[in-house]
Amino acid sequence: MREADAIHPGPALTAARSLSDYFPSLKGTPGDTPVYVYAGATEGGNVLIIGGTHPNEPAGFVTSVMLIENIRAVRGKIVIVPQANASGFTHSDPQEGSPQRFPIATAAGQRWFRLGSRVTNPIHQWPDPTIYVNPTGQTLAGIEARNLNRAYPGKAGGNLTEKVAFGIMELIKKERIDLGIDLHESAPEYPVINAIVFHENSADLAATAQMELQAEGFEFRLEASPPNLRGLSHREWGDVAGIRAILMETPNASHGRLKGKPSVELIIDGKDKFYEKAARLGRLFVPFGPDGIPLKNRVARHLAGLKAVLSGLKELDPGKAVEVEDLPPADRVRVEGIGAFLR
Amino acid sequence: MVGVFILLAVPLKLPMGVAIALSALVGALAGGQGFALRHLVEGAFGFFDIILIIAAAMIFMKVLQESGILDSLVAALLKAFYRNKVLLLLAVMLLVMFPGMITGSSLAAVLSTGPLVAPVLMKLGLARLKTAAFVAMGAILGMIAPPVNILVMIMGSGVDMPYVGLTLPLLIIVVPLAVVIALGLGLKDLKIVSADEIKTLLPESVAERYGLRLYLPLLLVLALMILQNLNVPLIRDLGLPAIFFIGSLSGLFCGRRFDFLKATQKAVEEAMPILSILAGVGMFIQVMTLTGARGWAVTTFLSLPPALLYAGIGVSLPLFGGVSAYGSASVLGVPFLLALINKNALITSSALSAIVGIGDLMPPAAMAARFSAQVVGERSFFKVLRYCLVPAILLLAMGLGVLWLAPLLDKIM
Repeated sequence: MREADAIHPGPALTAARSLSDYFPSLKGTPGDTPVYVYAGATEGGNVLIIGGTHPNEPAGFVTSVMLIENIRAVRGKIVIVPQANASGFTHSDPQEGSPQRFPIATAAGQRWFRLGSRVTNPIHQWPDPTIYVNPTGQTLAGIEARNLNRAYPGKAGGNLTEKVAFGIMELIKKERIDLGIDLHESAPEYPVINAIVFHENSADLAATAQMELQAEGFEFRLEASPPNLRGLSHREWGDVAGIRAILMETPNASHGRLKGKPSVELIIDGKDKFYEKAARLGRLFVPFGPDGIPLKNRVARHLAGLKAVLSGLKELDPGKAVEVEDLPPADRVRVEGIGAFLR
Repeated sequence: MVGVFILLAVPLKLPMGVAIALSALVGALAGGQGFALRHLVEGAFGFFDIILIIAAAMIFMKVLQESGILDSLVAALLKAFYRNKVLLLLAVMLLVMFPGMITGSSLAAVLSTGPLVAPVLMKLGLARLKTAAFVAMGAILGMIAPPVNILVMIMGSGVDMPYVGLTLPLLIIVVPLAVVIALGLGLKDLKIVSADEIKTLLPESVAERYGLRLYLPLLLVLALMILQNLNVPLIRDLGLPAIFFIGSLSGLFCGRRFDFLKATQKAVEEAMPILSILAGVGMFIQVMTLTGARGWAVTTFLSLPPALLYAGIGVSLPLFGGVSAYGSASVLGVPFLLALINKNALITSSALSAIVGIGDLMPPAAMAARFSAQVVGERSFFKVLRYCLVPAILLLAMGLGVLWLAPLLDKIM
């Protein structure tokens, strides 16, 4: 898990940076992480896409890597942070028994991706407080001090996780981001799933995207960001940075509490007999059959969601439109697999 | 795995921690995972922080004893409260609960104020085992009581429920139980003594010699616990192990002189059995997850028909809590909270946390019972459990009752 994942940016990459370029205090720390910029020739809006906020939710990370290796910006700018909590990729959650990495077959051979932990590595940030009071004053269980998606808007002088959150807020400011999209996965027993979670300033955008997704055969729920649930990207990006903020969730059996044997197959094929049983009992918030919910389908959902959100942005705010080419098509990813779109 | 554990622990009489660790290893081998070294090490580290807290708290307790602070504080408490037993019992219950209320840990309560109140109660006539039960139950109620209930926080983080608006539901559960359990365990046995008699009961106090500084270690620990929760810079990142250790160091300058190194060695030696149990339990859980046994157990409990769901909650949460209360809240508490999602989540999570809390009495870890037994000098915590039975049933009934009445309580609140 100490070996960094290989990411091979496509030829349309405009700039490769680090989060420490936006917040120098992160330089040389385990919180620093690569940032990829794709700028089009024509003026437009600026969109931030974040993967790997929770490194045990592989669809967000893999989707970000696919974007980095394929897209070309035509108009506006796309900034991608594929491993937002880089420290979380360096360890596993104790007592979860998860594999530390999983393979994806590509034309150039097998590639391995790390499966990390939901939270920052305790080697990098320790000890946890008894209770965690996050930068907004919300009281949480101590372990949440290492959860990036509870640490926004971050703190320049805070703990490592708060510094990473602060670095992302600095990136949003310096890159003049108009729309932020945070890619996640959730356990099938969790109610916020197959969903677009939106800040109230992005309700129109989420609804427009949902309509397009429905037309394409993807069912997405809309979930308003609860105003009293603080420290999350979809809340603080909107409240503090004033940008449109969206978070997307796909169903991932490999990090749920009902899962059977944790395995590479569970991550990739997404099949699990206990989840099947729970679905029959009506305990889940998504359909879960014998075919499971494979990673390629979850990545395809994210890709379809991203396309619909960008399309919605263009419709609602043409001056801030961001247009990209070579975005891997969701229907082809479902058929051809993820590896067909990796270098 | 359970069979191997019983075989190793009962007829072969291996230390509990070793028996659990070996049964985890056998589980991994039988599950086709090989020696699974990574998983055994990773699982053991799941309780690393709690292991440090216990070790540091045990050192703190030993320092209080060796420096004469404990005896002096007991004497002061006896002098203050010996006249009115109802007031005494309620004050002592609050005192035991307090560290649990501010740390969300029953262990912190048992090991910080437990050693203070236990001698007071015993001097006034409460039997040793009943005293231990009093401390254990007070510590568990403190863990459940507001303002800090980590069990609810853990369940809340699993369903994105902010830790807001929980004070009232938690008080509804805890306050009546604290009164009933304190009086129920103590009122009959505690005796009222005369002013002359109390003098003969007082332990040797060094308070006159050292003055107010004698109380500094305890006050320092409590102050640091509170300041940590108030998010005071520097202090907020200390963590409980460092807080107990700072308290221990301050004890060097506040009371009788003693050999700190020897006291530390003795404390760690006494703590070693539970530390090894926790490491073993961590391995056991990881192997359970690795072999799919955890998923099977959770799904089985969730498969219970609605009529039996409450029975499943009442049995499984305390049982798993015997391994780890926090683990039980996370692994089972969250799915149960989701299964009851049509009810008020604040009320249901509060009630579930009360039921999870009983787990601190359950073997193999039995944190509250084990350490309260130690506080009164009893080797077997099973004897203490006898006196915890009725209070635990009351706690379970209260938890299940609040779950059942959640819609009604929701309307009233």
